[in-house]
Amino acid sequence: MTQTSESSSDATSDGTDVLVEASDLEVYFPIKSGIIFDRTVGHVRAVDGVDLTIHRGETYGLVGESGCGKSTLGKAILNLEPPTAGSVVFDGTDIASLKGEDLRRERKRFQMVFQDPMSSLDPRQTVENLLLEGMRAHGLDTDKDATRARLRELMSSVGLPVAALSKYPHEFSGGQRQRIGIARALSVGPDLIVADEPVSALDVSIQAQVINLLQDLQDELGLTYLVVAHDLAVVRHISDRIGVMYLGGLVEESDGAELYDVPLHPYTRALMSAVPVPDPQVEDSREQILLTGDLPSPANPPSGCRFHTRCPWKQETLCDTERPQLRVVEVDGASASHRVACHYAEQVASGEIQPHQVEAVSVESGFTGPVDGPDAPPEAYVGV
Amino acid sequence: MNDTTNHTTDDSTDHSTDDRTEDARGARPTFGQRRKDRIDQLATAGTVDDEPGVSLIRSAWKRLRRNPIFLIGAAITLAFIVLAIISPWIAPWDVTARPLLDKVRPQSNPVPGPEPGHFLGADDRGRDLFSRLLVGSRQTLIVGVVATLFGLLGGLTLGTIAGAVGGWVDSLVMRIVDVMLSIPSLLLAFTVASLARNPSQWTLVIAIAIIQVPIFARLLRGSMLAQRASDHVLAARSLGVRPTAIVFRHMLPNALGPVIVQATLSLAVAIIDAAALSFLGLGNPDQSQPEWGQMLGRAQPFITEAPHLAFYPAGCIIVVALGFTLMGESLREALDPKTRR
Amino acid sequence: MTQTQHTNRPRGGSSEPLLSVRDLRVTFQRQGEEEFHAVDGVSFDVRPGQTVGLVGESGCGKSVTSLAIMGLLPGRGNRVSGSAIFDGEDLLTLSPAAMRDRRGSEIAMIFQDPLSSLNPVISIGRQVTEVMERHQGLSRKQATPKAVELLERVGIPDPKARLLNYPHQLSGGMRQRALIAMALACNPRLLIADEPTTALDVTIQAQILALLKELVVDTGTALVMITHDLGVVAGLCDEVNVLYGGKVVERGGRHGLFRDPRHPYTVGLLNSIPRLDAARGEKLSPVPGSVADNLPWTSACAFAPRCSQVVDACTRETPQWEGDQVVGHRCFNPMGGTR
Repeated sequence: MTQTSESSSDATSDGTDVLVEASDLEVYFPIKSGIIFDRTVGHVRAVDGVDLTIHRGETYGLVGESGCGKSTLGKAILNLEPPTAGSVVFDGTDIASLKGEDLRRERKRFQMVFQDPMSSLDPRQTVENLLLEGMRAHGLDTDKDATRARLRELMSSVGLPVAALSKYPHEFSGGQRQRIGIARALSVGPDLIVADEPVSALDVSIQAQVINLLQDLQDELGLTYLVVAHDLAVVRHISDRIGVMYLGGLVEESDGAELYDVPLHPYTRALMSAVPVPDPQVEDSREQILLTGDLPSPANPPSGCRFHTRCPWKQETLCDTERPQLRVVEVDGASASHRVACHYAEQVASGEIQPHQVEAVSVESGFTGPVDGPDAPPEAYVGV
Repeated sequence: MNDTTNHTTDDSTDHSTDDRTEDARGARPTFGQRRKDRIDQLATAGTVDDEPGVSLIRSAWKRLRRNPIFLIGAAITLAFIVLAIISPWIAPWDVTARPLLDKVRPQSNPVPGPEPGHFLGADDRGRDLFSRLLVGSRQTLIVGVVATLFGLLGGLTLGTIAGAVGGWVDSLVMRIVDVMLSIPSLLLAFTVASLARNPSQWTLVIAIAIIQVPIFARLLRGSMLAQRASDHVLAARSLGVRPTAIVFRHMLPNALGPVIVQATLSLAVAIIDAAALSFLGLGNPDQSQPEWGQMLGRAQPFITEAPHLAFYPAGCIIVVALGFTLMGESLREALDPKTRR
Repeated sequence: MTQTQHTNRPRGGSSEPLLSVRDLRVTFQRQGEEEFHAVDGVSFDVRPGQTVGLVGESGCGKSVTSLAIMGLLPGRGNRVSGSAIFDGEDLLTLSPAAMRDRRGSEIAMIFQDPLSSLNPVISIGRQVTEVMERHQGLSRKQATPKAVELLERVGIPDPKARLLNYPHQLSGGMRQRALIAMALACNPRLLIADEPTTALDVTIQAQILALLKELVVDTGTALVMITHDLGVVAGLCDEVNVLYGGKVVERGGRHGLFRDPRHPYTVGLLNSIPRLDAARGEKLSPVPGSVADNLPWTSACAFAPRCSQVVDACTRETPQWEGDQVVGHRCFNPMGGTR
């Protein structure tokens, strides 16, 4: 919190500072086809109308399966992937509308940690150069001694010896590389860090090291995190609030513990029951909701509720015609900050509606091109 | 382990003033505690030895040094370069002198054979063949190297512009490059070379450079685009690094690998092309500056009576081209990230 | 749709092992470099109808173990020793031709990445029928209805139409199902699954795991499950082998191992996984360091530099196996011990 904002920061009713407010954010990728001239024949709706609020000092966890647009949303919030529509107000400034030099100068306030620590570090730069680069770009390296001290502080804050400064990324193990990636993000003194699958490329024993490091740094520096991950257990472990994404939209948003105790959206329930727990007793006794079929294509999302094609609680009316909005529901244990996008959330929670068999939809809708089209699979657009 | 920890503490005492100012400002009140925790964490992160880092180029070089194919290629190339430099001083005869002119009989003995003092014999003008071969390496080297350098420069410029700027600039540059690539390269070189009123070695250089530009441009542009999509460039972008710095610090250095390899291989092609152009009479007509291709061309009328006249320069071209190719191929292998460990 | 999982299965406990791996070693040797023991004396048994898990992190030798058993290691640059007795025959000494006959018919394997293990230019149907033609001598006509049956059994909707599809037209989960169908084509007695769900999303993973579980129960096939995910192991495996640095460091039954892990590495792994059912704020206790810190097994315990329980002996001699083919560990100073 070393930065001061020009505008007064908004405060919500409960008095906490809002750091990031994204409204109606959309990221569409054009699907091009044509022999000589590219024609846009459709859009992959990677992010399709998301409202998101992140408070200062909290960790917001964004969870969902591949192709749900969570990574794209993370990048769109940082304007690394320019949003097609919508706004992202960061501490009073709309980042989504910034361009060029103005955007570049703002970047020191929000940083990113990447999934693959090897490919996100330039193999030809020493760690020192990698860390200095951002400081140089923002004019933070004026005093030589202070810069040296800052470098050492960065290294010690991510738990690496100073000797590592002169080394190259390929000389480190995966976990150490991710520490360098975190140090680089910290080098410019950001308020917000978007961590895109920060541990999913790491071995299990190393994952915990990095998770702990992220938590320590947050306590120490008062950082705000947006953690994007597919692993619900990881997200639940580090997040204050969790948003569940399905096919470009948020389907449920809640306090972390509450989401686990009172999952309201059928997709959240299915996701939660699918996560394996390393405890045979839990595994043997728990109830599993197995979803059938695959994620429909974001280029051609289902009408109404995006999840209705796979939902075991799907009803005859509303589900396939009207897209549900996030709303607060009157259910025992659900607080006012718990929002869900399901028409029948109350009835599902009370057991009034029981799950039924779902016929798996023909898989053409999955991540596959049309049968006769050599189009690249949409993963190329979405997964990035 | 112990080494690294000691190292850290040593360093921090040297600069303890910085730390104290840090504390005095009160920005990090728990700094001492934090430092203690961190030293515990050094153990968590695993060890890092104290050796200075080894860059990718250095580790590639380490692998190259043990590669016999690279060593053979490098030996040939080195011998060729050294010979080319010192050839005027070690050649037994002046290249314009015609010591065996009196042995040339246009009807019965157009090409004098080997004899003491002229162990490869002479050419049809009675000039010492061995001396001309030696000195010929010079022109060949100059044409090959300079043409490749020019081609590389042109290709780098176009490729960097196309790969870095993108959009319509990229399309424009690439369409021009496509047009150039669609014309057979030697044909293009003929056209360029024959435009010159007075052919000289520079005609050759320019003609060959021009046919190499599109190859380098396309290659660099492709690998620049791959770099542009890479995570580390995205990381630099998210860090707020200036776009020019991203292009020249991150994209270009990482994209250059395949281009350097191609340049080594292109040297061989340039030498062969130069020889071909000279052979066809588009090169330097100046007999006082022998060149292997030119010698090959002049050997044509005597191919049945004196095949050796063609064989020696051709052999030289092949061996030198092989040298560059071996070097290029092993360089490619060494720089390939898949073989890296 | 909603299914309750079975309770502890006491299956296969007493019968003769179907596959018995003893002291398997795989040594890689690259030109100009030191030998590297990827697998360093691994022994385990698999009984019919039993699911055995090989668990460990990258570089622990779990995948190399399976490739060595299947005879799929590249011919050059490695040495395999030990034995893998399958049905009275040592698979490691079989001729390549004899091994090819076993593979696909008696022993089948499922890989992590279904897209690269399927041939992209041959239709799914052909790939499934080919296996049956090769091993059961069926004609393509005879094999096709069987292929439809198989695809249906692994839960591929509209299997007849799918026969004509190419791998890129299927989603990841469907590809993995197709691969499982191919593996099951000849009713193998042993199925080796190498990280079969790692590339898949959790909801799809749950489908595939449920399918594998069902197949094991229905057909009595023995399953060797190779994974890094202890959660997957907890739900699926009867017996668990934890590998570290090419050796089995702990073995136990599913319930026993998770309730009372003895080896500090197993404990460390369990403590470093964030659990969905744990309260937030509970700090994880990770295993410090990385595999790069390992000591050589020849004169120490490889895990010693990362171990919380380290004693003097750990850095001086190789810990020996304490236990039998069902339960045991390899540690000088094991934890717990109430079982």
